[in-house]
Amino acid sequence: MKIRFKLNGKETEYDVPEYKRALDFLRDDMRMTSVKEGCGEGECGACTIILNGKNVNSCMVLAVELDGQEVWTLEGLNEKGETYIQDSYVEKGAIQCGFCTPGFIMSTKVLLDNNPEPTEEDIKNGLEGNLCRCTGYTKIIEAVKLAAEKRGEKNEI
Amino acid sequence: MKFKYYKPQTVEEISELKRNGNAKLLSGGTDLMVKIRAKVIKPEIVIDTKGLGKKPISFEEGKVIIPINTTYSELIDNEEFNKKFPMVVEIMKKIGSPQIRNRATPIGNIANASPAGDFLLATYLFRGYTEIKPSNKKIKISTLVTGPGKISLKPEEVISSIELRERRGYQYYYEKIGKRNAMNISIISIGVLLKTKENIIEDIKIAYGSVGPTVMRFKDIEKEMVGKPFSKETFEKFGEIYMKNINPITDVRATAEYRREMVKSLLVKAYYNFNREG
Repeated sequence: MKIRFKLNGKETEYDVPEYKRALDFLRDDMRMTSVKEGCGEGECGACTIILNGKNVNSCMVLAVELDGQEVWTLEGLNEKGETYIQDSYVEKGAIQCGFCTPGFIMSTKVLLDNNPEPTEEDIKNGLEGNLCRCTGYTKIIEAVKLAAEKRGEKNEI
Repeated sequence: MKFKYYKPQTVEEISELKRNGNAKLLSGGTDLMVKIRAKVIKPEIVIDTKGLGKKPISFEEGKVIIPINTTYSELIDNEEFNKKFPMVVEIMKKIGSPQIRNRATPIGNIANASPAGDFLLATYLFRGYTEIKPSNKKIKISTLVTGPGKISLKPEEVISSIELRERRGYQYYYEKIGKRNAMNISIISIGVLLKTKENIIEDIKIAYGSVGPTVMRFKDIEKEMVGKPFSKETFEKFGEIYMKNINPITDVRATAEYRREMVKSLLVKAYYNFNREG
């Protein structure tokens, strides 16, 4: 089935099998390898993408459902130079193996876009759908706090 | 796993497709996609209900009408819904994770009819009704759900909206026992609505999740509680009665014994919570 959608700001057209998951389509056909498969059943958030401004698990979305929608992956943020979240994760050492990181960054972006000054509780709630087995979360929370500061400074300029 | 995908724009087309084949409806997909991948179900046709569009959440005469394809996030973000149904908002905030709530729908939760369905529990307390198309029937949700994963819907029928009735002047208590806060499938859950007057129970509604084939509510026991003093003794005594009436099973999440003990403990806990607030 032919779909047309906006991927990282660009109009995209592709003929995709009807039963293919958005996760597989984005990884294999679009080569957006930031989109990771962890559990494949919505528990871990490694496959998180932003669909129409909301973070969703791409393992639970069909590629055909993307038709007419707007999708952002981490590649898109990097391409347009929106890297304050990534920078914050690096600065705070909130990355170890890195497998969960793209998903965390996408959830962080949605959180901060909707709530620019989150409390620690807000951060925990906003990221509760993402699992990290390395860091123990403390540094991730610190990174999100730093990202919120950077975002605020950026917007003041 | 291969299937054909359709996204019709009318209920009649959905109805026609659904009548003629091994079809499953897709709205949020948070259950369907997992089940298809695990090969628990093998539909030949997947029908995306999002082709119907999304009507706004509406309020009338002490009720809310939640149309098909409305997500949990949309309900949680709705100001009027927050004002009128704070307990349901609290329940929904404990469902899944942001990623799940951004996709999953209350109607999907009812259609799946899991005994652990958290929104389903809410509909038992708030006199939930479904509107069925194309027959235009209204069916009470507790009647529609006939067992675990079972609803009495004809192949050609679709749940097009649900309505909940406001409960004004009630205190509420909700607790969901599980192993993690996010993405938690309840081991046992309880929802209580309570009205008291001069320390006497004026009205009470109690629903348990995950302890039976569907959400459990006993109106005869509730009626017996009315007129009794609002006291720890009353809640302990009725906790025992609920224990006798509920026969949970052992499964991967917990044993029957644990669940039975928790039936009473959670009711007593509800008392302490109300007492603290009152």
